[in-house]
Amino acid sequence: MELLFENLAHGFGVALSLNNLLFALLGAFIGTAIGVLPGIGPVATISLLLPITFGQPATTAIIMLAGIYYGAQYGGSTTAILLNLPGEVSAVVTTLEGYKMARNGRAGAALAIAALGSFFAGSVATILVAASGPLLTDIALSFGPADYFSLMLLGLVISAVLAQGSVVKSVGMVVLGVALGLVGTDVQTGQQRFTFGIPELSDGLNFAAIAMGVFGIGEIILNLERPEVRSVLSAKVGSLFLTKEEWKRAIPSVLRGTLLGSALGILPGGGASLASFGSYMMERKMSKGGKDFGTGAIEGVAGPEAANNAAAQTSFIPLLTLGIPSNAVMALMVGALIIQGIQPGPRMVESQPDLFWGLICSMWIGNVMLLVINLPMIGMWVKLLQVPYKYMYPAILTFCAIGVYSINNNVFDVYQTVFFAVLGYAFAKLKMEPAPLLVGFVLGPMMEEHLRRAMLLSRGDPMVFVERPISAVLLVIAALALGLMLLPGLRKRKEEAMAG
Amino acid sequence: MRINGKDFASALLLLALAGLGLWLNTDHTLGSARRMGPGYMPMLTFGLEFLLGLAVLGISLFSGPDPLERWTKIDFVGLFLGVAVGLVAYPVLVSVAPALGNNWYALGIAMMIGFGVMAISPGWRKMALILAGMTVFGVLLDRGGLFLAIAAMVVIAALADPEHRPLGVLGSVVFLIVVCWWVFIYELDIRVNIWPTF
Repeated sequence: MELLFENLAHGFGVALSLNNLLFALLGAFIGTAIGVLPGIGPVATISLLLPITFGQPATTAIIMLAGIYYGAQYGGSTTAILLNLPGEVSAVVTTLEGYKMARNGRAGAALAIAALGSFFAGSVATILVAASGPLLTDIALSFGPADYFSLMLLGLVISAVLAQGSVVKSVGMVVLGVALGLVGTDVQTGQQRFTFGIPELSDGLNFAAIAMGVFGIGEIILNLERPEVRSVLSAKVGSLFLTKEEWKRAIPSVLRGTLLGSALGILPGGGASLASFGSYMMERKMSKGGKDFGTGAIEGVAGPEAANNAAAQTSFIPLLTLGIPSNAVMALMVGALIIQGIQPGPRMVESQPDLFWGLICSMWIGNVMLLVINLPMIGMWVKLLQVPYKYMYPAILTFCAIGVYSINNNVFDVYQTVFFAVLGYAFAKLKMEPAPLLVGFVLGPMMEEHLRRAMLLSRGDPMVFVERPISAVLLVIAALALGLMLLPGLRKRKEEAMAG
Repeated sequence: MRINGKDFASALLLLALAGLGLWLNTDHTLGSARRMGPGYMPMLTFGLEFLLGLAVLGISLFSGPDPLERWTKIDFVGLFLGVAVGLVAYPVLVSVAPALGNNWYALGIAMMIGFGVMAISPGWRKMALILAGMTVFGVLLDRGGLFLAIAAMVVIAALADPEHRPLGVLGSVVFLIVVCWWVFIYELDIRVNIWPTF
């Protein structure tokens, strides 16, 4: 316990340095903005801003990128409540009750409970990350190569199982991601694989080019094909203060949402949107106001908003302690760390104490900042929505193009981005979920390393994966997760949850 | 039988990529499970991908109906012509002017021509114009400088949205040049020409 406080004190020392504070604020600010704006999500934004962070120390870079992710969860709720327009996927359920509340003249209360609930959940989740980090790290250090391989396999399976749409297709996307990760120089023999003799590919496909192409540019094209939805703010924001009755109804929901969100965030493949859907379903069943759902029940705002913020933060746990990204945003974080020369993994807590504890403390500081950014400045964010998409997309395109070029100062990366934009567009048209692809791409090379090492140690005996207890348990969980999703009943439930 | 067009096409895509990967992988030594060669993991990965492709193919026969969006005749022709012209243009450019082999000029110009052709068909226009804009950025950046590259990209990409008016596009160009100069040149100091050097 004492050590924890000592570490947290160290973390606050790092997080409170002027530079880190500034970048946390910048991240929270940008995050809120893209949370408010529909049509650009955290994955595209983080990949867009990845190159900008290269000049900064690793800790500062990760602090800012993390700020974007949880900032987007805050911002997404604002437009969901005021305009019935979810800025983020995770805010879709907030529109259900939040917009109804706004129609009833309680927009201020809905915004306030969304922000306060998120703040509470974020604070709890931060403590959870701080406490579990070193604990999980101790466990992870006893992992052998076989256990690691199975852990990553589990991560891939779950990220596919929890993706939207057909499970078999999502597994296909994960494997495709692993395949893309094979391009480049083979680490052990130095042989060029799938590079077509192109020297630029000997270091592998450009990670930022894939992310920007599929999530950034591909998304622009799809948005242009959809007719633009213009919405006008009709409801008044009204008083931000909650009545006693509203407090009494909201507090239990916030607590439940925090718990559920924290748990779902840790799961590989979990994350903010899953948590908010889960919490909505739970509140409809469990809360006293459940029967009022559909008419503007505050429980339906408080629970999911707390849950998505808690999950956004706890999804850092597998990344920071095991080096396993649990969703596409975390895959981007792995990419950012690797570019900074840091190998994510269980040794990070020891070898990068500044980064680990600094990030945790900055998350809490970021939550305080978000409270200030969001509540008093709501009018400004709503104005931002009036910027038409036709002015936004050239800006996104320009930032992508310069950003991806500046990574290696090579135009080949720009053309790579174009190639992946075509692919991303095709994926969207064919309803193939791209998020698992990114997770597969990041984990693929690490998996190959661990597979080789495990098989070398076992003298080529594949039984090692079931003989080692940790590995066996992980594989059983992976098999169960896949098996359950093939059951028609459960699959239908998942589809319902995903559709809100 | 209710065929799901989207799943069917996904399956073909997965199978094609897996087939390509397995074929390319014949160059690599497999090694044994104990001492894996460079070709071992690709074999596992693409093999699994191929099986998944077959599974999706099987499912697609019954999971429909979810047809692909209708393609007009001109969309087919546009896609085919665009890809064909781009593929022909690349080797032609390299053999006619070997200097274009540097800095991927030939690749960029070939892609530009290909997207240009695709933009003729209404179905592909938005995608082709956005991507042509980005390609032009790559082609112009080194010699034309950052400002010209941004201007050309924004103008071409703006054609993708019929709502754009000339004045608005001009405003976007100026605004983006100023912002990019401030962020990428002044703050981040990336190594790139900003003015043309023809």
